[in-house]
Amino acid sequence: MKQVGNKDEAFSLKTRIKRLKRDSNKWSVFTLAIVFFLALPIVFIGVELFAGPGESWSHIVDYLLPDYIGNSFFLVFFCSILVLVFGVSAAWFVSRYEFPFRKQMEWLLILPLAIPSYIVGYAYAGIFDYGGSMDLLFREVGLTFIRIDIMNRAGLAFVLSISLFPYVYVSARAFFLNQANNLLEASKMLGVSEVKTFFRLMLPLARPAIVAGLVLVLMEVLNDYGAAKYYGVNTFTTGIFRSWFSLEEPQTAVYLSALLILIIFVLILIEKWQVRKMKFTSSKSNSKQIQRKPTKGIMKGFIFSVVFLPILLGFVLPVVQLIYWAVLTAATVFDMEFIMISVQSFAIAIASAVITVFFALILIYFSKWSTLSAIKNISRVGVLGYAIPGAVIAIGIMIPTLALDKWLINVLGNFGIDSGLIINGTLIALLYAYAVRFLAVAYNPIDSTALKVDNSIPDSSKVLGVGNLKTFFKIEFPLIKTGVFSAVILVFIDVMKELPLTLILKPYHIDTLAVKAFEYASDEMVMEASIPSLFIIFTAMIPVIFLNKLLIKK
Amino acid sequence: MKKILLAITAFSLLASCGKDNKKNETTVTPESSKDQVVNVYTHRHYEPDQKIFKLFEDKTGIKVKVINASADELIQKMKMEGKQSPADVLITVDAGRLSRAKDEGLLQSIKSDVLEQSIPSYLQDVDNQWFGLTKRARIIAYSKDRVNPEDLTTYEDLVNPKWKGKILVRSSSNIYNQSLMASIIANDGEEAAKEWAKGMVANMARSPKGSDRDQVKAVVAGEGDLAIVNSYYIGKMLNSPDAEEVKTAQQIGLFFPNQDDRGTHINVSGAGVAKYAPNKENAIAFIEFLIGEEAQKIFTDSNYEYPVLESVIPVEDIKVWGEFKEDNLGLNKLGEHNKKAVLIFDEAGWK
Repeated sequence: MKQVGNKDEAFSLKTRIKRLKRDSNKWSVFTLAIVFFLALPIVFIGVELFAGPGESWSHIVDYLLPDYIGNSFFLVFFCSILVLVFGVSAAWFVSRYEFPFRKQMEWLLILPLAIPSYIVGYAYAGIFDYGGSMDLLFREVGLTFIRIDIMNRAGLAFVLSISLFPYVYVSARAFFLNQANNLLEASKMLGVSEVKTFFRLMLPLARPAIVAGLVLVLMEVLNDYGAAKYYGVNTFTTGIFRSWFSLEEPQTAVYLSALLILIIFVLILIEKWQVRKMKFTSSKSNSKQIQRKPTKGIMKGFIFSVVFLPILLGFVLPVVQLIYWAVLTAATVFDMEFIMISVQSFAIAIASAVITVFFALILIYFSKWSTLSAIKNISRVGVLGYAIPGAVIAIGIMIPTLALDKWLINVLGNFGIDSGLIINGTLIALLYAYAVRFLAVAYNPIDSTALKVDNSIPDSSKVLGVGNLKTFFKIEFPLIKTGVFSAVILVFIDVMKELPLTLILKPYHIDTLAVKAFEYASDEMVMEASIPSLFIIFTAMIPVIFLNKLLIKK
Repeated sequence: MKKILLAITAFSLLASCGKDNKKNETTVTPESSKDQVVNVYTHRHYEPDQKIFKLFEDKTGIKVKVINASADELIQKMKMEGKQSPADVLITVDAGRLSRAKDEGLLQSIKSDVLEQSIPSYLQDVDNQWFGLTKRARIIAYSKDRVNPEDLTTYEDLVNPKWKGKILVRSSSNIYNQSLMASIIANDGEEAAKEWAKGMVANMARSPKGSDRDQVKAVVAGEGDLAIVNSYYIGKMLNSPDAEEVKTAQQIGLFFPNQDDRGTHINVSGAGVAKYAPNKENAIAFIEFLIGEEAQKIFTDSNYEYPVLESVIPVEDIKVWGEFKEDNLGLNKLGEHNKKAVLIFDEAGWK
C-alpha cells in the first residue's frame, strides 16, 4: 500500500513537471523575470531572516510584541470600518444621485490622499491642542473648549481613516460608474427599492473593487510611522524602527518586518478567498454609464451631508489648519525655491507613476497570457513591497544595487574609467525603489478593472489570429483605461508624499516637497512644515482634477 | 486630453532622464571637475544651517551638498556604501549616534588644532573622531502656579511619590530620553536606572506621546505639573510665530536639575569626518567653520542652542536662564549605554 502511494506521488510529481513544461510559455518566463526584478529587495530582506533574529528578540517578544499586535489589529479593525463607511457611501451617492456641488465633490473626495497622513495627524493635534484652533475659536465666543484628546489609538485610527478612505472611494466609484447601469435598470424593472438594490445587488458586486481599495488602505495603515509615533501608539512599524535603530539590531527589525508581511499576506489571502468562486465579468463591454437620480428636500440635504463630511474632515479642516500655520510662518519659510522643488517633485512623481503602472500592466497581462495558473499567484508577490516600511525597502534596494555598482566600478576600473556609483545616489535607484514600493497601488485598481473585461472579447480577437500585444493595445487597453489612469494618479500622489525611501536614496541635487516638509516636522517645527505640505497638496491636485475630467468624459 | 497627458509624461520623463544623465556625468569624473565640494550627511534639519552653509560657500568657494535624513538612516547608508561613500561629513543631533558611527568604523581621526583647542574636552571624542558643535540641556519645565521650584532637586528625585501623576515626558523612542537614561546608567549604575525608570512610569501624568513642545503645552493645560524638555525647544517656543505658543512658554518656569551634584544632563549636536571622505581637507575646513564664531553665533541666535565656543555668548532668550553646572560625563558613554537604556525603558513599560 505504502509503496503504491509513493509511486503515485512520484508519478504525480513527474507529471507535474511535465505539465509545467507543457503549460509554460514565454509569457510565464517574462512574468517570472519581472517578479524577480521587483521582488529582489524583498528577497534580500528575506535572506536576512536566515541569519536569525538579534539577541533582543526575546526581549521584544516579552515586553513589546503584545502591544504591537494589539494596536495593529485595533487599527486594522477600526480603520476598515471607518474607511468602508466613508468611502463606499460617498462613492455610491456621487455616482447614483444628482445633488448640489456633486461634480466638485467628485474630485474633492480624492484630495485627502494628497495630504501625508502624518501631516493630517499634526494638523488634528493642532486643532484640538491646548492653545490650538478649537481652543481659540471657543475663547473667541466666550466658551471654554472641552479638550478632546485625539492623541491616542482611537484618534490615530480616525486620522488614518480620514486620510486614506479615498483608496476605497476611487475603486468603488470606478465600479459604480461603469458597471452598474444595466443592473440598476434590471433591478428597477423588478420593482426593488433603492436601499435594497444597494445592499443586495451593488454592494456584493462591487466587493472585489472595494476590497482591493481596502487592502491598500490597510497596508498603508500598518506601514504608518509618522502619525503613530507622534500619537504615541506602538505598532509593528514603530517597532521595526525601534529595534533597528534604538536597539541597533537590523536582524530583529527584519524579523518584525517578516511578521508584518505575514499579516499582509493573510489579508491578501482573505481577499482571494472571499472572491474565490465568483466571476466578475460584465456581459456587455459597452455598458452605459450610470443614470443619476435627482434628489429633493431632506434626501438632498442628507446625501449632501454624507458626501461632504469626509471632505470636511479629511481635507477642509486639515487644510484650513495648514493655511493658518502657513500664514503665521510665511515670512520666515517661503522661498522661490519651493516652485523649483515643486516642479522636481512633480516630474519625479509622474515618471515613477508611469514606470510603476507599466510594470503593473506587464505583470497583470503577462501572467494572464501565460497558461500556467500558478504564475498569477506568483505575480502577487510583487505587490508585497507596499507592506514594507520605506526605510526597509531602501536597504533592500541598496544591497543588490550597491553590489552591482561596485562590480561595475571594478570592471570599468580595468579599462581605466572611474565610474563612481552609477545606480546609487542617482534617480535610477530612486525610481526603482518607488516601483517596488508602490506596485500594489497600481496593481490593484488595474487588476480589478481588468477582471471585469469579459474574456470572450480578447479571446475572439486571438482566435482571429491577432497577437497578444496587439489585442491588448487595440481592445483591452481602451476598456481598462479608467483603471490605468486611476492607478497613475494614485501612484503619483503616493510618490509625492513618500518620505523614508526618498530620504535615503535621493540624489544630492534633488529635493522633494515631502523631504522639505519632513525637515521641519521632524524637528517639532510643525507650523513651518505647513508651506511645503500645502505645495504637495496643490501639486497633487493638478492630476487629480485631470483624471476626473477623463473619467467623466468617458 | 490624451495627447496632453502623453506630452506631460514624455516631458517629465525627459526631464528626469536629463537629470539622470547630468548626475552620471558628474559622478563619472568627480575629481577632474574643478568645483570643490563637501558632501554633508546631516540630521540637523534647521533653517539657520542653510544660512551657515551659504556663508561657508561664499567664503571658501567650496560647494556644500547636503543629504538630510535621520542619523540612523545616514549611518546605515554610509555603512552600505562603504569605500564608495560620497559622504565627507556626518552631522548628528546627539553624541550617542556619533560614537556609534565611530564604533562602526565610519569616521576617522583628524588633526585640527582649531577644533581641539576651541571645544571643551568632554564635548569631543577622545580619538578626535567627532566634535560637538552645539549643546542642549535636558531640563524641567514646571507649572509656576502649582509647583514650588524649591521642591525640585534632581532627575533622581522625580520618582518621589509626591510627583505621582504629575510628570509629563515624551516617548522612550526619542533619542534625548535615551541619552538621559544612558547618563543615569553611567552615573548611578544599571540597577538604580531600572528603579528610576519604574518610578518615572509610576509618576507619569499620561502615557507618553507627542513632542517636547507638547509636554510643555500639557503642563500649561493642567494635565501635569512637570515636563522634561530639551532647552532649545523652549527658546523656539518663546520665539514662535504662533502667539499662543509664546504665551504658553511664558507661563512655565525652568529648572536645571542636579546643580548640587554632577550637573544637568547635556547632549551635543556634533560632526565627524567620514572614514572614506573624498574631500577630507574640505571636510575639516567645514567643521572648523562650524565652530567658528560666525557660525556659533547663528546656531545660538536662530536655533537657541548653547554654543560650544566659550567666547560666543548665548542668545538673550536662553542667557536669562543663567549659567548652570553641566554634567561633564564623557559623551562617549551615552553611545555606550544607549542600547541598555532602551532595554530598560521597555522593561519598565515606558512607552
